[in-house]
Amino acid sequence: MDVKKVIMATPSPQPVKIELELEVNGFHRQLTVAPAARLVDLLREDLELTGTKFSCEVGRCGTCAVHMDNKLVNSCLVMAYQANGTSICTIEGLAERSLDPIQSAFLEEGGFQCGYCTPGMIMAVKALLNYHANPTEEQIKEGLSGNLCRCTGYGGIIRAVQRAIKNLNENEIEGAVGWKK
Amino acid sequence: MLMNTSLKEWKGKIRPDGPGKVTGGIKYLTDLTFPNMLYGKILRSSEPHAEIVSISTDLARKLPGVRAVVTYKDVPGLNGYGIIFPDQPVLCKDKVRYVGDALAAVAADTEEIAEKALGLIEVNYRRLPVIDSTEKALEPGAPLLHPDGNILHRAGYSIGNVEDGFQKSFVIIEETYDVPRQMHAYMETEGGVIVPEPGGKITVYAGTQHGFKDRFQLSRILNIPEKDIRIVSSPMGGSFGGKDELNIQPYGALLALAANCPVKIHQSRQESVKAGLKRHPMKITVKTGADKNGKILAHKVKIIADTGAYATLGPAILDFAVEHVSGPYKIPNMETEGLSVFTNNGVAGEFRGFGGNQITFALEGQMDRLAEKLQIDYLEFRRLNLREAEDPGPLGQRIAPTNGATHVLEAIQKSFFKRADLRNEKGDLNERWKARGTGAAITMHGGGLGAGRMDPAGGRLSFTKDGKIAAAFGFEECGQGLLSVIETILLEEFNCLDKDISIVIGDTDLVPVSGSSTASRATSMVWHSLQKMKDSFRSQMIDLAELATGTPANRMEMGPGGIWLKDAQQSGEAYLSFADLASALVQDRSISVQTSFDFPVSPDATVAGSHFLYAFAAVIVEVEVDILTGRVKVTGMEQAVSAGPVVSPMGYRGQIEGGGAMALGYTLMEHSIIEKGIYLNDNFDTYLIPTIFDVPFEMITEAVEELYEGDEFGPRGVGEIGTVAVAPAIAQAIYNATGCWINKLPVSPELILEKVSFMEGDKWM
Ligand code: FES
Ligand code: FES
Repeated sequence: MDVKKVIMATPSPQPVKIELELEVNGFHRQLTVAPAARLVDLLREDLELTGTKFSCEVGRCGTCAVHMDNKLVNSCLVMAYQANGTSICTIEGLAERSLDPIQSAFLEEGGFQCGYCTPGMIMAVKALLNYHANPTEEQIKEGLSGNLCRCTGYGGIIRAVQRAIKNLNENEIEGAVGWKK
Repeated sequence: MLMNTSLKEWKGKIRPDGPGKVTGGIKYLTDLTFPNMLYGKILRSSEPHAEIVSISTDLARKLPGVRAVVTYKDVPGLNGYGIIFPDQPVLCKDKVRYVGDALAAVAADTEEIAEKALGLIEVNYRRLPVIDSTEKALEPGAPLLHPDGNILHRAGYSIGNVEDGFQKSFVIIEETYDVPRQMHAYMETEGGVIVPEPGGKITVYAGTQHGFKDRFQLSRILNIPEKDIRIVSSPMGGSFGGKDELNIQPYGALLALAANCPVKIHQSRQESVKAGLKRHPMKITVKTGADKNGKILAHKVKIIADTGAYATLGPAILDFAVEHVSGPYKIPNMETEGLSVFTNNGVAGEFRGFGGNQITFALEGQMDRLAEKLQIDYLEFRRLNLREAEDPGPLGQRIAPTNGATHVLEAIQKSFFKRADLRNEKGDLNERWKARGTGAAITMHGGGLGAGRMDPAGGRLSFTKDGKIAAAFGFEECGQGLLSVIETILLEEFNCLDKDISIVIGDTDLVPVSGSSTASRATSMVWHSLQKMKDSFRSQMIDLAELATGTPANRMEMGPGGIWLKDAQQSGEAYLSFADLASALVQDRSISVQTSFDFPVSPDATVAGSHFLYAFAAVIVEVEVDILTGRVKVTGMEQAVSAGPVVSPMGYRGQIEGGGAMALGYTLMEHSIIEKGIYLNDNFDTYLIPTIFDVPFEMITEAVEELYEGDEFGPRGVGEIGTVAVAPAIAQAIYNATGCWINKLPVSPELILEKVSFMEGDKWM
């Protein structure tokens, strides 16, 4: 049997662009993007913040996870216009003067191997610990269930979360008696 | 040593690539951009098997924003690739053999335009019958997928007389094991940027597990000398064997040369699923006999591997499976026959474990069934048949003597008893519809490419003008922690600080040939290289220090930050800093040591691919089976591994746990389904890999570091071993929980329900 694909060459319409304003990692940004652009494209392409990854583009892997108005979102599922007027935090915005205690915990416990899931994973841990300072095993699993990691088997990640909780609690105590970090 | 990551252990052992990875600062090769960069897309076949009547690219070429379109007509050199033999067309001319076959590639100003242009390429096919199973491929008169027929490779091994062995056997078990097509599912799909350079040269920034091999293959395809091609291959967001073969590189290169602009290709997950390699599905039919006392007398195995449309490393994988048919056991009579068969089902190829996982599932399954029939404890039954340190290897070849098998079995036996105590203590077995069981399995796994295969290794140490000890290796960082391994060994050998060293890997312009970052060989070969180079390097450094200071060489040694006096109180500062030492490196004096050698092979191997160095693992798992839903949950996993000294504890543990989880997925959920040559599950919404919910919250890794007396081969790699014996351990645990034998992976809930309701086991009534 012969198979033939019929192709119609339609003239491509003039690309329209939309204007956006948002805050990314504390900086105010104005952008002009394609209407079909997603938040992940805007971050990676327009702002060159390539710490945010993508792997499935259907909301299943969490490698593209960022915070939008302090909530964890998969940036492959957020259309750029939906991000208009919001405040975004990506992995690049996490460390201020020094590493976030979660980042240090990932280093100390081997919470990564290839590192490709790591930015999304750390953003998910950050959201988890913002929500529950002392999460139970179930809460940890729930909080990270949207983030796939093919390398670690999650062992190192779980240990990193546990250490991060410890680090954060210790910092709090230090803070209470007026110590400087 | 039981693995833990106490503060003391990790201090100073944070992975060199760690900070970049936790801050998002590290650039993967798919994150790169270059000025004037175009975006490339590859048109893959819509047909699993067809003749190509015509390809027309006229419309695509006319689309504004399209800068280059290439088809088979534009391949200047050999239109083929493949690590063993180049039977896979870069761009198909007259025939397609699977849905990943490439027909054309487009470079355009944006990815959207490139995508659109693909839609404008007109391909007329004449469909051919789809060979969607090995059975069909082997039928007499089946259409031939390749000129030499539908059998890619045959392999076999026999010793003794199996029929005789069966006759003497008291029990015989016959079973067919059916294992699925697994996807690597590295989180970073294939991609990178190919940049044309002045003078007809190119630089290829794309992940691979063997940069020099890519360079060789690309040189053949592009018809430009190897020296004009530079491959930058690290870092990678995972590979597990899947990026060992060429993937997007030839298309990126053809487009970049045609458009004279850098071209980026980054495959979507669907594209990756379609085009990428998978683990070989195999049907393994086994007949095994043992005597009354539990000695195995005969083992007859037939392996049929579905290798898909092209060869890649299919032959070597079959050889590996044939070699590992008897695992760590002594079996006097064996007959193995293996066939690797072409079909239109994707392309199967290299994947962590390399045929070992499939064959171990079958072997250990036989061990369990025999033990049960003979009413012998299944670990004891293994012990009865276990190899001893100086026994020959599984193909009769001489191997490095090792007690690994005994060590790991003993380790797991101990933990088995401990767990039994725990189980009794807990005593929470009264949830009515939950069945719990424990299972264990062991394995033996060869490292390196094996006898009769080109398996070069090597490295270079030099002292740079800015006072750094520079190590260069042609290996890649796929995530496994190789940088950490190199750093740890350097720090140990030279007693220096991490700021004293610099490491270069994965760049063919800067590194010596080290062979591939596959086959659990890189860690081992780094260690071997440094053993060969360290003395010469050290003495050259000390000689230079003597020249610079006039102090006799024998009074000095290398230490943190520089050269130290041996007899002086170590007062906290080096006698001569490395920076000062470097200033003594005048024009004609340099320090550089290079080594090249081959991976150690058996001195008397007669079968190609047989190994000399082996690692061992034993796995114990606990499962919980929900009798109402058929769902199996692995609640505990412990692995004991014998692979020589541990170089980097965190990396070692990570490899074993990560490998364990990947194998858990293989056992319980992963199946890349192809129907009539078409992939049905092409993304993570339908191809499920383990999430944090699916793995035990705590996994235990025990490293047995002891080597046999006189063993000089140092650490073996552990990249694969943690994946090999997990499936049979889970299968055994399911049997112990429910009384159902598992012979097909992945274990589906439906299968369990079906089996439980027809009650092969009568535990539930
Ligand atoms: S890329 Fe967004 S969830 Fe996978
Ligand atoms: S570290 Fe590689 S995917 Fe998580």
